[in-house]
Amino acid sequence: MSTLGEVNLSSYLPLMVVVLMAATFAAINIVGTLLIGPKRPGKTKGLTYESGMNPVGTARKRFNVRFYLIAMVFLVFDVEIVFLYPWAATYPNLAMSDPDRVIWFWRILFFLFTTVVAYVYGYRKGVFRFD
Amino acid sequence: MIERLSLLYPEIVLFLGACLVMVIGLSPKREVRSLCGFASAGSLLIAGLLAINTSAGNTTPLPGLLPYVKAILAGVGLLLVLLLSGVVDRRDEEEIAAGRRAFSAMRSNRAEFHAFFLFSLMGAMLCATADDLIWLFLALELTSLPTYVMVAVSTRGTRAQEAGVKYFFLGALGAGIFLYGFALLYGGTGSTNLAQIARELARQGAAGDINPIAMAGLMLAVVGVSFKIAAVPMHFYTPDVYQGAAAPVSAMLAFVPKTAGFVTILTLVSCAGWSYGFVDGRDVYGAGFALPAELRIALWVIAALTMTVGNVMAVLQTSIKRMLGYSSVAHSGYMLVGVLAGAAAGEESGYSFAQSGVAAVLFYLLVYGVGNLGAFAVLASMERRNPDGELVEADEFGDVRGLCRSSPLAGWTMVLSALSLLGLPPLLGFFGKFGLFSAGIAAGDYALVVILGLNSAIAAFYYLRLVAVSLLDEPQGSTYAPTTILARPLAGAVSALGVIVLIAFAEPLMQAATKAGRVAPMTLGVSPEGVRRAQTTELPEPGTGDRGAPSGAPAPEGEHDGAGH
Repeated sequence: MSTLGEVNLSSYLPLMVVVLMAATFAAINIVGTLLIGPKRPGKTKGLTYESGMNPVGTARKRFNVRFYLIAMVFLVFDVEIVFLYPWAATYPNLAMSDPDRVIWFWRILFFLFTTVVAYVYGYRKGVFRFD
Repeated sequence: MIERLSLLYPEIVLFLGACLVMVIGLSPKREVRSLCGFASAGSLLIAGLLAINTSAGNTTPLPGLLPYVKAILAGVGLLLVLLLSGVVDRRDEEEIAAGRRAFSAMRSNRAEFHAFFLFSLMGAMLCATADDLIWLFLALELTSLPTYVMVAVSTRGTRAQEAGVKYFFLGALGAGIFLYGFALLYGGTGSTNLAQIARELARQGAAGDINPIAMAGLMLAVVGVSFKIAAVPMHFYTPDVYQGAAAPVSAMLAFVPKTAGFVTILTLVSCAGWSYGFVDGRDVYGAGFALPAELRIALWVIAALTMTVGNVMAVLQTSIKRMLGYSSVAHSGYMLVGVLAGAAAGEESGYSFAQSGVAAVLFYLLVYGVGNLGAFAVLASMERRNPDGELVEADEFGDVRGLCRSSPLAGWTMVLSALSLLGLPPLLGFFGKFGLFSAGIAAGDYALVVILGLNSAIAAFYYLRLVAVSLLDEPQGSTYAPTTILARPLAGAVSALGVIVLIAFAEPLMQAATKAGRVAPMTLGVSPEGVRRAQTTELPEPGTGDRGAPSGAPAPEGEHDGAGH
């Protein structure tokens, strides 16, 4: 257990080198393109870049509320997968005789159950009704 | 691992209850939907019973907190479920019952409302179980996030939405501040584990001074959490939010986040002081107080300002909800006196209720929760239709004029709740305040006790005004009528009964609070002598120790040194 005052800062030297390298790389690239790159500005090139879409119309456009609902349902399942991966990677490494094995198993089942509840809730709420 | 899990059974039950409520609240069948409240109450009842039977934890500086805090949360939570009935979807349900409209799951809020309530209580319970800063942060946010939504949907119209937005942004600010504090605390002590933080802080304190980074972290954490308890630097939202939200939701805001906040403050402060301040039989922070001086001064100023600002502003209000909001601020200030007193004279005290500030705070949380709920229940029980056909709750002093004559149940509920909140001797509130006063005196903090007394006098002004308006005045053509939701006056009546009946149980409740407020003995000293002391000194059980007689003065440092020399 060490506090901030007691940490030997020289152990952070490699990190400092990486940060310096990253900064230098970025700086060289920007300065390099400014100096030797060809410059042919155009109207389309000067537009705001937004995922390849042409930014037309007002920015205060209202999205269909379904967009947010789908996004949230997606998040539920996406996050579930994120948590499943480390579990799946660790679980086989537990010894067969390990008493924690059962707990680990039920724990992930409980977690999956919460996702099922979220799914049932979304279904009841009408999130999946596209009419 | 599995034995740690048993500490979480109440939370798990609440979580399952929330899952159930979330699904059945969206049923197209009206009868199934109306089971929401019963399902919430059922899960709270089971959680409360489980909480009473939970053994104390062993990983936090305040191991006894957990059964007591969970039990009072479940108990007052049951009353809140009663009070919260009919807050959302009332008009929709009436139209559906009349056959004017079909049920639409998208428009219904009932399932979420009840589930969020359970989630919030679960978060508050998790605060009491927390033994790690990250856990503590997540639990605090779980307490608060559902309440933002509950405020915003509690009534129709822009006022509740405004309150919800204000509450959300200031809540986010508070969360940011205490999260930054937690980060600095980690930086200054090298651990997120509370027991290890406590040991490290004691080591630093004994070696000279606490690391400034850790101290800044503690300060920021306390200031950030004062949003949850509505203490002075972060109290500005209180009147607006309490007025904008429906009265039942305000009653909940005054209890659940406040309990979570005080549990957090007690846990954090216990890491830095009280028994941990007394290492090796010596008050390592000096000045006769077991808290580090910087933290002590900060808490002292916050407590004094919170009491005074809350009470003075409450006197000036014409709206009862705003007045109760400011009085909620003031009550937080009273409780901070108990936080400052802490386990009074260090590790060897804390087994007598009259000496332990922690016990006083824990007991006062229950007292305040019960009394406050009654006052808000009365406001929620009186309503009238505004020109738009919406039901509006009573809010101004004029709305409760002569209430004891026009509707005696609501009137007497108001009288008893106000008198209990004031701390009038025979009622429950008196016992709560008595604990805070005696703990403050036992800690020798006379200046703060005087401020507490003066503030109680100011509080008498507006509470007695509330009593006088409802008891002595004649009813004057009030347009308010008792609500058709009978659960609300019932919740009020139960809480009014509570401030009387619980007096009979004050003794066991105080003992439970004393047990809950016991600080774990230090397990790691700083010197060989300190280690030996920590191994040999155990806290005696309440009432069994030969030092059971309460003594006003903090124990001198030489008193326990017999074994050491």
